Amino acid sequence: MTATTAVMELRDVAVRYKTRKSFFRHDYFTALENISFSIIKGETLGVIGANGCGKSTLLKVLANIYGVDSGEVSWYCQQVSLLSLTLGFDPELSGRDNAIISGMLLGSRRQEVLNKLDEIIEFSELHEFIDNPIKTYSSGMLSRLGFSVALKMESELLLIDEVLAVGDNKFMDSAKDAMADKINSDQTVVLVSHSLSQVKMLCDRTLWLEGGKLQMIGPTDHVLEEYELFLRNDNQSSVSHRLIE
Amino acid sequence: MFISRVHLVEVFFTKLVFNLKSEASQTYLAYIWWILEPALMSVVFYVVFDLFLAGRVPNFFIFIICGQIPFLWFSNSVNNASKSIMDAHGLINQAAIPKPFFPMLVVFQDAFKQAIVFTTMIIFFKIYGMEISWVWLSLAVIILTQLLLISAAALLVAAITPFLPDFKYLVSTTTMALMFGSGVFYSYKDVLLPQHQQFFLMNPVANLIKNYRHVLMENTLPDWTALGYICLGSLALIFIMTSYYRRTDTLYARLITQ
Repeated sequence: MTATTAVMELRDVAVRYKTRKSFFRHDYFTALENISFSIIKGETLGVIGANGCGKSTLLKVLANIYGVDSGEVSWYCQQVSLLSLTLGFDPELSGRDNAIISGMLLGSRRQEVLNKLDEIIEFSELHEFIDNPIKTYSSGMLSRLGFSVALKMESELLLIDEVLAVGDNKFMDSAKDAMADKINSDQTVVLVSHSLSQVKMLCDRTLWLEGGKLQMIGPTDHVLEEYELFLRNDNQSSVSHRLIE
Repeated sequence: MFISRVHLVEVFFTKLVFNLKSEASQTYLAYIWWILEPALMSVVFYVVFDLFLAGRVPNFFIFIICGQIPFLWFSNSVNNASKSIMDAHGLINQAAIPKPFFPMLVVFQDAFKQAIVFTTMIIFFKIYGMEISWVWLSLAVIILTQLLLISAAALLVAAITPFLPDFKYLVSTTTMALMFGSGVFYSYKDVLLPQHQQFFLMNPVANLIKNYRHVLMENTLPDWTALGYICLGSLALIFIMTSYYRRTDTLYARLITQ
């Protein structure tokens, strides 16, 4: 791993949230602590861990949405996109207008989005509905549109947070295949997922977060093996705790 | 993260057009409301202050329009801007957008609507029988000065509200107080003692309203020195606020979620 091939590097990063308890009293919650790692150009890095372990916070730090309380983040790429379905959607506007603004907010230029608009409409299967306001869409239609926009946009570093399962079964299958193709290309991707089989199938390396700390980072097979062992031991210890009680 | 400033500007103007379209689609009378709101307010003020309270200002309806329309522009823009970062919490948590984007979007949206209102106002004045002269060209300078003042105030209030959500109520109360302190429905020359008038005109909104009336009602050129001071003060505040936003930009996404 060399700095020349890294698209991003984090050194001793910590993020704390402040929560207000009363007028003058605040509590702090540490979401990330002592996080150091690099993302290599062209790789797919999986991020796993229990709910509340800091996965989404980490993605927001990588996307430069959240600043850090200590440590340092270095970007060696021009464009990072956090893939969000329905980003910037306005219910009063048509599917076409929403696709344009959402694509632009995901990092594409207006002309690039316009050039891909036919593909987006085709993939989302919204042909006759594309000029209707999206407030008239069902939730399935909305997620199809959002997913199609996100899928067709290009970015040097793509950050994905659990957005592979959308729409009905038929659409979900084609969405999963299309996203898997995108991830398996030369695209650099950070994928947050609870599906270990998905991480195993798509990711070259995996990062495991536990309680806001980096538990392990390395080849996916090795990290998943350790993670599964940890989950089994954790389950066993919680069962034995329950038995003692 | 945007590729370039040009890309950001492109997103800004696309969002501006779509927001105007979205806003208009939410009412039956759509774009007409942009003109109807200041017109109705002016009529209400005319009925209350001229007919019911028998005001002594000559040509009072025109006097009210010249004060009310610029004041509503300032008041609406600053109030809308105060909530702009909070209202955009969804977007702020999903994309790294420089935070001045949001108050400035509000400022430009309101400025676009105001351009239509000013055009309608001038057409109305012509129909009303007022004499339009080359002096009215200086309106462009007053309007630009007001745009600078609104931008500076919008950037300031938008930066404070996420830290102190209650601040938006203070903004609406202050703009209401400002209406009474800016001579929207009275002539400061008739109401204030001569030694107090220069303090009254230190309020930039009052000063701008005075200049609008100079040009539109008296066909005289505006007070260039006063406009120069307002421009300089506004530019200084814009500079301070943009450097502030540059330093604190990534703070806001966390601030509005915690």
